[in-house]
Amino acid sequence: MPATTLAERDALNDLLRRTGTRDEKAFAALYKATSPRLFGVCMRLVGDPAEADEILQDAFVTIWQRASSFDPSRASAFTWLITVVRNKAIDRLRQRSGVHFASDIAWDSIVDELPGPAAQAEAGEAYAKLRACLDELEGQPRRSIREAFFAGATYNELAERAKVPLGTMKSWIRRGLLQLRACLGA
Amino acid sequence: MNTPFDNDKDHLRYVEYVLGLLDADARADVAREIADQPEAAAAVARWQAWLTPLAIEVPAIAPPAHAWESIRRRLGLAEPARPGLWESLALWRWIGVGATAVAACLLVLTLTRPGVSTPPTATAPAVLMVATIAGDDGVAAWTATMDVERSELLLIPATPQPVAVGRDTELWLIPEGGAPIAVGVFPSAGGKRFVLPRDLVSRLGPSAALAVSVEPTGGSPTGQPTGPVIAKGAIRAA
Repeated sequence: MPATTLAERDALNDLLRRTGTRDEKAFAALYKATSPRLFGVCMRLVGDPAEADEILQDAFVTIWQRASSFDPSRASAFTWLITVVRNKAIDRLRQRSGVHFASDIAWDSIVDELPGPAAQAEAGEAYAKLRACLDELEGQPRRSIREAFFAGATYNELAERAKVPLGTMKSWIRRGLLQLRACLGA
Repeated sequence: MNTPFDNDKDHLRYVEYVLGLLDADARADVAREIADQPEAAAAVARWQAWLTPLAIEVPAIAPPAHAWESIRRRLGLAEPARPGLWESLALWRWIGVGATAVAACLLVLTLTRPGVSTPPTATAPAVLMVATIAGDDGVAAWTATMDVERSELLLIPATPQPVAVGRDTELWLIPEGGAPIAVGVFPSAGGKRFVLPRDLVSRLGPSAALAVSVEPTGGSPTGQPTGPVIAKGAIRAA
């Protein structure tokens, strides 16, 4: 199975760029190619199918409206699209009153969910590097950062879920992030 | 005096924003910074590029069938031109959508297309059909999607079985109670788009199956499978 080729990445970039020129066919192809992955991300963040559906729709409305601002020299289409969806989902999570978890997943079960080998190969170098840098972190910081990414949860929510004081959670994550930045930026 | 750690802590707001750790107010502050300050925008973009690859660990889920129509309606876009079904083969693979999800995608596509909302009758085959071609162990080796209107069959590798050098994999259509009909040879790991002759298209349907055999390079010399059948699967409406 070939790994990500530049041609394939370019194809996604091209669809998004063409969407920015009001090319409806490109927009349809972009939706078809990316909506299952993006909907999966929504579901993981908000948990509720109806809400995830609304977020996905909002996201694609925004994607159509803002695609012309996409600049492939600054970000890949994949990063750009995931960011649109995550921002919408996280904004919505922050609007919820009180503590409301996306899903009740046992804290210890999230440690190292690995994607299948095909997905890993296909995600290419950026994923491999991130994985390697995360693996260098100690267990608690790594787990906390991963859960922050997947659940879009605040420090408070994460501390509550892990049953540790807020200060401990902040220190785990900040220490981990500093270490991660040194590793990723190297 | 600012210690390096203070600067770091300040900088961490950007990645805390990217991860979603900040409360609503702090989040809005950073959003304003991004809009006003190029350095803040650059720092946020850098973290986004670093961290978003993690999203591939989240399983893909087919969105509700009505979502695409709703999006188009909200944007005031006209009735959809038929999207190119095959355009995104490479993208599907890159995005890591597995064979089942591909089938689910196509199901969504079928349901959202105008004109196919009534269930097909036994005599009028579905416009789109799929088959999961699996080995004896039940693992999907390839997924086939057939488009009757366009007389096309798209074969996408899922977990393709490797074949020896000097051998080719060949796809066969097996009508119920009939002899296999050669569809064509294809690279085991690469998949292929076949244009089907009309008489072959007319035999696609829920009573038929697809199979893959290992043949000498260039395909079976006899017109019938000569090597072992390594995977097969029934055809069903998408």
